[in-house]
Amino acid sequence: MDPVNEMHYRFPPASAYPLNRCLYALKSDDAFRARFLADAKAAMAEHGLDAEAQAALLGANRDALVACGAHPYLVFMADLRLRMARGTGTFEYF
Amino acid sequence: MLVGAFACAHTPQLIARPETEDRELVLRVHAAFARVRRRLEMLRPDAIAVVAGDHVEAFFLDAVPALAVYAGADAAGTFGPYEYRFPVHEPLARAVVEQGIERGFDLLYTQRARLDYAFFVPLHFTMPAPEVPIVPLHVNVYLPPQPTPRRCHAWGRALGEILGARPERVVLMASGGMSHYPGTDRYASPDFDWDRRVLDTLRDGRGAELAALTGEELDKAGNVELRTWITVLGAVGAAKAEVYCYEPSWHHGNAVVEWTL
Repeated sequence: MDPVNEMHYRFPPASAYPLNRCLYALKSDDAFRARFLADAKAAMAEHGLDAEAQAALLGANRDALVACGAHPYLVFMADLRLRMARGTGTFEYF
Repeated sequence: MLVGAFACAHTPQLIARPETEDRELVLRVHAAFARVRRRLEMLRPDAIAVVAGDHVEAFFLDAVPALAVYAGADAAGTFGPYEYRFPVHEPLARAVVEQGIERGFDLLYTQRARLDYAFFVPLHFTMPAPEVPIVPLHVNVYLPPQPTPRRCHAWGRALGEILGARPERVVLMASGGMSHYPGTDRYASPDFDWDRRVLDTLRDGRGAELAALTGEELDKAGNVELRTWITVLGAVGAAKAEVYCYEPSWHHGNAVVEWTL
């Protein structure tokens, strides 16, 4: 096994650029996050996600997303920001 | 001149606490941040140079710098309900860019990039009154291939020399760490023993040993962000660390440290 491929954070494959771009927008672009919450399929189409990536993202399936080449940190923070935006759970802000 | 050096955790759960987080633990980390703020008020810095890893906020895959300096008039960003903006100490930022490049570090500089919460969270809790300008310094920690620990240490040594020769009173603050694995299947099992060994090394003033770590070792220990600490270690030499707190949560080793200069 190539030790680099056992790392938690790996070089993002170029094929996963659209997916990582979409996760980045969910994390950092308030307007895009709102569009995603209103119509996830239409929002994902803006970034040209393939069917596999769309299914992984709709299912919030971390392992499937990472298998598609998503950067784990982007998966983590996109999910956190969606939960903050949906108001699921309560957050105490300091 | 360099008048102080700190390292602070910045995990977002410290500022936006979900129900999953132990409130008492979060408040103990806040108490350590308050100690840093009181120290900063005593040290009266003219600027705080914050070494943090942008979390794919300013720098997405469109362009991935290893090391960057924010040299705009100010630096601003948002995180959830927080909107923040800090003045940048422009003469100091410019000196770091110019002299850093002169010393062989091919720095990226930006006058516009968004400021990530990794910079904001420690400043939210530790910024003294009256507010002082900052110099944000980015080290790539999350997008492989990251700069090696040895390179970070060398950059920190150069940074220490550059800041040390300036007339301003400057505090260096590393933001990040310790062990955590966001977004991976190891999220719930950080390597706290590894963290505690590192803290012992820092208490002994042997931080330079961290320059010999490999990127693989940092990744394995959940400590890719320790590159920001290793950068500051390059500047503080054999100074001994005082550990203000080490609070292991279910997913994160939260540490706050001062190096006594």
